Amino acid sequence: MAENPSGLVVESFKLTKIYQNRQIALNDVTLRLEPGCVLGLLGPNGAGKTTLLRLILGLHRPTAGWVKLFGKIMSPNAAASRRRIGYIPTNPQFPAGMTPITYLDYMARLFGLPLEVRKPRLASLIRAVDLLNVSGDPIAGFSNGMTSRLAVATSLINEPDLLIWDEPTHGLDPEARRSMLELIKSLAKEKTLIVSSHNLSDIDEVCNHAAVLSRGHLIYFGSLQDLKGRMRRNHYELDLDGDQKNIAKAAGAIKGLNDFKSVQVRQRRLELRMADDVNNSSALANLFMTLADNKVTLVSIRSVGQQTEQAFLDLVEKEESRGFARAYQQQSEAA
Amino acid sequence: MDTPALPKAYKINRFLPYWAVFQADLKQNLRSWLFRAWVFLSLAAAFGYMLYRYGAKQVGFIQPASTLISELLTYVVLGTVTIILMLTGGTICSERGTMADSVLSRGISRFQYFFGKWHARLAAILGSYLVMSIIVMVSAYCLLHGESLSLWGAAVAILAVGAILAVVITIGVTLSALVNTTMVSIAIGWMLVNASCFLLSMLPDNYPTPDRMLKNLPNILRGMFDLTMMSRFIGISLGVSLAVALVGMVLFARRDV
Repeated sequence: MAENPSGLVVESFKLTKIYQNRQIALNDVTLRLEPGCVLGLLGPNGAGKTTLLRLILGLHRPTAGWVKLFGKIMSPNAAASRRRIGYIPTNPQFPAGMTPITYLDYMARLFGLPLEVRKPRLASLIRAVDLLNVSGDPIAGFSNGMTSRLAVATSLINEPDLLIWDEPTHGLDPEARRSMLELIKSLAKEKTLIVSSHNLSDIDEVCNHAAVLSRGHLIYFGSLQDLKGRMRRNHYELDLDGDQKNIAKAAGAIKGLNDFKSVQVRQRRLELRMADDVNNSSALANLFMTLADNKVTLVSIRSVGQQTEQAFLDLVEKEESRGFARAYQQQSEAA
Repeated sequence: MDTPALPKAYKINRFLPYWAVFQADLKQNLRSWLFRAWVFLSLAAAFGYMLYRYGAKQVGFIQPASTLISELLTYVVLGTVTIILMLTGGTICSERGTMADSVLSRGISRFQYFFGKWHARLAAILGSYLVMSIIVMVSAYCLLHGESLSLWGAAVAILAVGAILAVVITIGVTLSALVNTTMVSIAIGWMLVNASCFLLSMLPDNYPTPDRMLKNLPNILRGMFDLTMMSRFIGISLGVSLAVALVGMVLFARRDV
């Protein structure tokens, strides 16, 4: 597009936010988000996720650096850029006394949508999020699931190109959570999304990119596959079949192998932790041979720990263990 | 992946976000118990006082309508400044955080948001003041000695008091955009208004200050006033109001919400 030569949806450069010279909320965040990305924003509490989202939305002004949306610098007065965003805050609040119809109409007017556009659209959205039978009721009496659905409708009223959803599955029951994830998946086919969540399995399911923040610093930005690739795969569980004596004998033989630092047998389940420096393929090959030699059948094998979660925890742990070394590394990266 | 956005088949109405905020805030203000209490108490006090004066007239005392109206207008300014600051001091800061998120994260600029809020408060308070003033003025004209009242003088008096109220409203809305809590906003506003009045009262006699204008209200209502001086007073008041709002708007656009 001529108005956006870079073609990027979101671009930030050395984005830094310091609150009143007291708290460094975000430090030197540089990222580039292409159209079609579904970015999962991860990080512990206080990592700076919401600050980053608020800077992208122009609700906060950066202390240093900049953020561009669709090629234009974002600022509190950049209403035109915000017309292309659909936002859901963590705990959406609604004005007292409004109904879904009046609230959506208000939001649509805030986007400057003319009457002949906003009325049919809000009606379609109310139907789509299954609030038709309560469309005239005050929002104050709505359940968490209903307010979440209304927030989804609000974020779609302007047909945005970019969706920013902060904790969209927060407080939802399993059924509502499943619907929300399915909705994100279908929206991801045509829109760019930034989804912030504490629930790593949600991110794992719907996102193709991840950004990990730790204490205001972006410690990872890239594809979710690459993030999983960084994970230490050293913890396995095996379900076995065969004579209990044979299983115990096989476990004893496995303990004798140098590949494993911990071997535990519970009934017919074997839990293994590999030594850090071994190749897991050859170690698993030795393991299978040992089981076969002892006439033990392998029923199933699985890597323990949710993959994205493990990779995320590894990253945060690694970042925190770097100590002062990170200062040197940052300088050398800058040079 | 890099598909260009489809052109929208409609035209965005850039005035609509301002109008939406204006209407929402106006409704919210008219529904607030403080606003309703202000209107009710002002009308009750005005009619109570008017009946008292009417009783005095019935037993033969001269009761000029201009005196009663000037006293009531003075009461509006002096007696309800704090209430007006309370009505305006939380305009923006009370919505900080999640509620402001749901509005300011949409297609509205900070300027439009500020203007919408400011104009809504001006419309609600000045509109109510205007209606109440006209009701009281017509009642006083009919019940008391109305010959002392000049129509032109009454219009100028209402405008002059309205100009003072506009400054107070603007100060309240501006402070609400610049501080974090309603209480702080009201406290600063109250101190600012009183300190300004005190400092203005020390100006030489030929300067049109609020306290002098209020003292001169009975004469203004009789039609005896210097038009240049009154025009200057109203003009300066509106100029101050506009300047304060501009400062508030620019600073609000530079703040985090």
